[in-house]
Amino acid sequence: MKNIITIFLKEMKDILRDRRTLVLMIIMPLVLFPLIINISSKFMMKLETTAATRVLKVGVILNGNDSRLKDTVISRDDLELTEVTNEELVTEMINGNNLDFCITLDKKFDNNVANLEPGEIRLYFKSSAKNDISKRRINGILEEYKNKLLDERFTKLELNTSVINTININEKDIVSVKEKFGEKIGGFIPYLFVIFCFIGAMYPAIDLGAGEKERGTIETLLVSPATRFQIVIGKFIVVTLSGIISAMLTFAGLFASVKMNSDIPSKILDLIMKVIDINSIIFIFSLIIPISVFFAGILLSFSFFANSFKEAQSIMTPLNFLVIIPAFIGTLPGMKLTTLTAFIPILNVSLASKEIISGTIDNGLLAIVYISMFLLAAASLFICIKWFSREEVIFRGS
Amino acid sequence: MIEVENISKKFKLSRKQRRELGESYSGGKFIQSVSDVSFNCKPGRIFTLLGPNGAGKTTTLRMLGTILVQDSGKIKVAGFDTLAQPDKVRSKIGFLTGTTGLYSRLTPEEMVRYYAKLYGITGKKYTDKRDSIFDILGINKFKDRRIGKLSSGMKQKVSIARTLIHDPEVVIFDEPTVGLDVITSRNIIKLIRDCRDEGKTVIFSTHIMGEVNMLSDDLAIMNKGKIVFSGNFLDFKNGMQSATIEDEFVRIAGGGE
Repeated sequence: MKNIITIFLKEMKDILRDRRTLVLMIIMPLVLFPLIINISSKFMMKLETTAATRVLKVGVILNGNDSRLKDTVISRDDLELTEVTNEELVTEMINGNNLDFCITLDKKFDNNVANLEPGEIRLYFKSSAKNDISKRRINGILEEYKNKLLDERFTKLELNTSVINTININEKDIVSVKEKFGEKIGGFIPYLFVIFCFIGAMYPAIDLGAGEKERGTIETLLVSPATRFQIVIGKFIVVTLSGIISAMLTFAGLFASVKMNSDIPSKILDLIMKVIDINSIIFIFSLIIPISVFFAGILLSFSFFANSFKEAQSIMTPLNFLVIIPAFIGTLPGMKLTTLTAFIPILNVSLASKEIISGTIDNGLLAIVYISMFLLAAASLFICIKWFSREEVIFRGS
Repeated sequence: MIEVENISKKFKLSRKQRRELGESYSGGKFIQSVSDVSFNCKPGRIFTLLGPNGAGKTTTLRMLGTILVQDSGKIKVAGFDTLAQPDKVRSKIGFLTGTTGLYSRLTPEEMVRYYAKLYGITGKKYTDKRDSIFDILGINKFKDRRIGKLSSGMKQKVSIARTLIHDPEVVIFDEPTVGLDVITSRNIIKLIRDCRDEGKTVIFSTHIMGEVNMLSDDLAIMNKGKIVFSGNFLDFKNGMQSATIEDEFVRIAGGGE
């Protein structure tokens, strides 16, 4: 036990002095990641505000119809109206940024409306993320005009507006806020911490296995009184802990970025805090432990096999995809924790975390997730110890 | 004391290694690295293991250090069997190679303390031993600097301190001067002599004839995994049929082929 602690403390000190490990294990999840979220949310907010308030350049082609649309609805301060004479020029004008939208009334528009038939309007625009927000404004204006015409028809026909309501559907959604939140963004949280758990464990694993071989320190360590089992366990704890720290910091970074984001209304913020309660956090953290052990066993085994940092990196890079894919599948809407998915590593943790956040977790399935993950974690540790005891692995190629 | 009795060791070859050996290689999937090797190393004497690259010297020394396990035969180091009591063996030996690496992010003091702890040396016993070794090797000036920022000579001194911190009964040097400059090599030569003078059992492997002449009390010549000569170095010199040690080595080793 003494040797395990000695090895653990030395390795921990060593990796905490490695800039690469620090960046991947601490800086990225805790600082960089929240920074990206904050900057991107600020950018999105700015984009939306600009799109919602900027003066839109709107072209109108009346095609001989009266100008009521122009006069009564479109004459607003947030729109700059241009009367366009030729419909064939519209595409060119929009492409040349002379117009954002063009509303074209069909030649028979007034006639059709007067005869209680639908009048046709063609709306020209160029879709983009920015323009979609503006389009909602134009659609709102046209909807307003449509309702105005409808009111006129009801008056003309001496009808009460309520006659068009044949049914009043009174929707009662019984989904809780927690469930809704879990379904919508609950999958995103485990996706992030699973990936950062893996990335956070990867560099320490490379350094403690292949790095030891590359530096030529493996021989002196093997010739010390520490047994191979003690060496593996000492290193294994460090790699596991790195994964756990990284995952927890991702969670903390995410939490801090939400809490410090002034763009999020306090009402929503309170809601988030209520949904991600202490019980959910404890349950999720309890899932991080077996997944970190599982990752540590796999990563260290590959690292011991590799002869150099470079070789270890080239072996482990494809492993990233094996982690990302199931973690990503867990974020997909409709993906549920079932007896089958509870046995699939990574996906099970991702789905279980999502359902813990939603508050819909089935205790039986959660037990399967724990059991399967702990069995896998134990198997990966066992393989790692066996692997490290094999001469042909440790002295491969020498 | 080291007693080696008829040890053998073979390795499984990878496909790439088999390809490199060519079609003429008849050993199949395995290569016999060490074959039926026996020798004894006595305390207070330097035992030199001389041989060309690939002769099996490193494999033999790794088996002495319990890093590798022999397929057959018996090894006793400081009275302990390497298979039955590997932990005891490891606590009695110091191991230094020319390619020994250090932890570049640790300081010399941290590195030496780490190994001392693994050998169970802590507290005053450690500080006394550390101060004495650091004084002799002149490590105090740079003991708190990161190893990655030290010169190769300084690093070698740290390696020596790491090897000797637990005052081992048996010291194994595997080509300890490979790749080192003249001054650092001389320090190593001096260290090997000091170890002998302190009554330690010293075994060192080399392919440099000058070192053989300077250091050897006893000598074994290895070639293709076998001992082709073993005996007292003075007897070897007196019985030489060639003009130089190098020529005699080539003659005994069968032209190195």
